Amino acid sequence: MLVSMPTAAAGTPEPPAVRLGPAVLRLEGVRKAFHRGVWPARRSVVVLSGATLEVEPGEMLWDKLTVDEHFALFARAYGMTDEARDRTVAALLDELQFAGYRGYRIEELSGGTRQKLNLALALMHEPQLLLLDEPYAGFDWETYLRFWEMSERRRDAGMGILIVSHLLAERERLDRIYTVRDGKTSDR
Amino acid sequence: MSAALAPSFVREHLRTRLTLVLLVAIPVFFVLIFASVLGQFSSALGGSLASRAATAISAGWAAAFLSGALAFFQLVSSRGADRRLALAGLGAGRVALARIAAALSLAVVVSAVAYLTLWLRAGVAHPLHAALAILAFAAIYIGIGALIGVFVSGALEGSLLVVLVFSVDVFSGPAMTSGGGGLLASLTPTRKAADLLIAAGAGRGSPASDWVAVTAVAVGAVGVALAAFWFSARSRA
Repeated sequence: MLVSMPTAAAGTPEPPAVRLGPAVLRLEGVRKAFHRGVWPARRSVVVLSGATLEVEPGEMLWDKLTVDEHFALFARAYGMTDEARDRTVAALLDELQFAGYRGYRIEELSGGTRQKLNLALALMHEPQLLLLDEPYAGFDWETYLRFWEMSERRRDAGMGILIVSHLLAERERLDRIYTVRDGKTSDR
Repeated sequence: MSAALAPSFVREHLRTRLTLVLLVAIPVFFVLIFASVLGQFSSALGGSLASRAATAISAGWAAAFLSGALAFFQLVSSRGADRRLALAGLGAGRVALARIAAALSLAVVVSAVAYLTLWLRAGVAHPLHAALAILAFAAIYIGIGALIGVFVSGALEGSLLVVLVFSVDVFSGPAMTSGGGGLLASLTPTRKAADLLIAAGAGRGSPASDWVAVTAVAVGAVGVALAAFWFSARSRA
């Protein structure tokens, strides 16, 4: 497994990825693991800057609610105004090209569109640090390429992005790679 | 903020037409058909549950069964998403409050249908007493359903467990057996609510101590459900 973390482009400030605090960790559903260094089954563990983090697995959407209702709920959780929510959601829907699914329930969506929504929910409050576990699973090729363009734009704007991936082919897109093997991390 | 979230959580469960149909059909079935079966069972077990009492209490069972099942499914089907919402900044407490508000709203809906069916079928001598007793049934089973959801994540296993608890509760209810059900019957959480509902259906009042006991059990059950929703939505760090 590769743990990948793009960093800021030359000349821009170092993203705050190494300053992990509860306020940042809360944003993406990541928590400190109970057992540092242990590799729990069915969970992706990232070891970064001495902290052991765990990305929550499982279904993270409500099957019976629509795409728009998800945006509304998470906008409240993030403390966004209605105006900011509308502006951000419109931009993300356009960027990920799934505006036509706003009124669809989650149970009616394909895996790829669900994944787009997952990504949009994570991005809508523009976090300083974004942690993504296999974020492109289910994406078609165009969306996959668009995902990397989006990531690079945000990386260049100062957002730290940490991606957990099993695909070795993506290494040229990443600024820094950590390999986790047998519960231990090495910086490459 | 929790009040603003609750309507979304209610919609989550009322969105499919089949669910809406069942929320009406099950109370109607309980009051019109289950009541007579309950009376026959009581006779077979040596109990003395009168037809009118069986009809009254079946409205309570309908509200209890539906509220328990809905609370269970609210918890197990939304666990991951609720936790994500809490971690996104809302906090487990506010998510839990929204869930409780949704569960109570759904309980009021199913209780109203059960009450209306009872009123149309047999009339209600003490309308307010009967309505409160049916609501107490629903509140108690919100606690039971949510508590089961904490320990059992599988939909099938959890549903069966809700049905098991419900069945034990029904058949150890008041006047169901010749011996009164013994220790088990006295420990079932709906015992006093059942006494109140039977009395209300027959036009009798109930002692204040029974009302205090039912209120305590119902409030306690809602508290258990709140804790269960909080436990489910919290960060495990």
